Amino acid sequence: MENESQDSARKVIIQLKATADAPILKQKKFKMLGTDKFAKVIDFLRRQIHRETVFVYINSAFSPNPDELVIDLFNNFGVDGKLLVNYACSVAWG
Amino acid sequence: MVVCLYIAKTSSQVGKIMSCFSSSWDGTLSPNDFSVAARVFTERWERNNSSSPSWFWVNSPKGPPFLASSQHVDGYLSLENMCVLVSAEDNNEEVSCTVEEEAGFSEIEGAADSATLVQSNHHEAHYYDFHIVYSASYRVPVLYFRAYCSDGRPLLLNEIEKDLPACSSKVLLETKWTFITQEEHPFLNRPWYKLHPCGTREWMKLLCLGDEVAAKNGLAIELYLVSWFSVVGQVVGLKTPLEMVKKSV
Repeated sequence: MENESQDSARKVIIQLKATADAPILKQKKFKMLGTDKFAKVIDFLRRQIHRETVFVYINSAFSPNPDELVIDLFNNFGVDGKLLVNYACSVAWG
Repeated sequence: MVVCLYIAKTSSQVGKIMSCFSSSWDGTLSPNDFSVAARVFTERWERNNSSSPSWFWVNSPKGPPFLASSQHVDGYLSLENMCVLVSAEDNNEEVSCTVEEEAGFSEIEGAADSATLVQSNHHEAHYYDFHIVYSASYRVPVLYFRAYCSDGRPLLLNEIEKDLPACSSKVLLETKWTFITQEEHPFLNRPWYKLHPCGTREWMKLLCLGDEVAAKNGLAIELYLVSWFSVVGQVVGLKTPLEMVKKSV
């Protein structure tokens, strides 16, 4: 476990899950470097669903800051060897 | 309609509360749950965010007028003097303009204190005060904030906008009247900026019931504010440490 968290360069499997009115993507699973920031996942989703903003959240009802490292998220919230990322079209405020 | 499996406990028993959201939960929070969640949030923030100012509960028994006592929360959460350094490199025009103003100010006043001199290295400090107030009409927490310079001058929304993360300024541009607006602070009766609460229960529902793990294990209502702040904090550039989310910290 300790080795796992130290080896931040390892790849992390990201699984995407559409919620609410978000479109389902063809490619729902991909690998990325643990040293990558979560911002990369958000940008990927934004491009894929053609939205300026996207609501992204993970297990435990948490929306990670874009500058979190993917490996840290995986170590804290990963389930069955993957980091499940839920996404919805942008949040309405008012 | 609120259908949460809520077990009434006093706030002194926070640690033992096992109340959960059921699948028909509407995303809102009762006034009592707010007080409980506020306490858990404050404790976890302090434990995991030692470099930041702390949140503390401000007792205000008077509260907003026209509310029945059952809807009433006798206070709010407050975090004050969060310092944001505005770098000249990011925003040349804005800061150089401010520096001139500062220079003029100090000449007139004849005050050459070190705080004024700091301006010369092209970093200006902005200070933010944040309050989390329970809204009885929406039954959700609402973020109020205000910002000021080191000389105490309040910042206007167009200046605050430059301190906000890029995605927030984008939203602000697109939805000018339904995102951040200036309104009266319910407890202080002064104009504060407020993040609109109309959509909160919808995205809280999504956040809390959307994923299988939370739905299966039941998300404790005491963590409502932690989850809520993980979204709202990002709007104003405040990061929620991952450690705050863990079930047993």
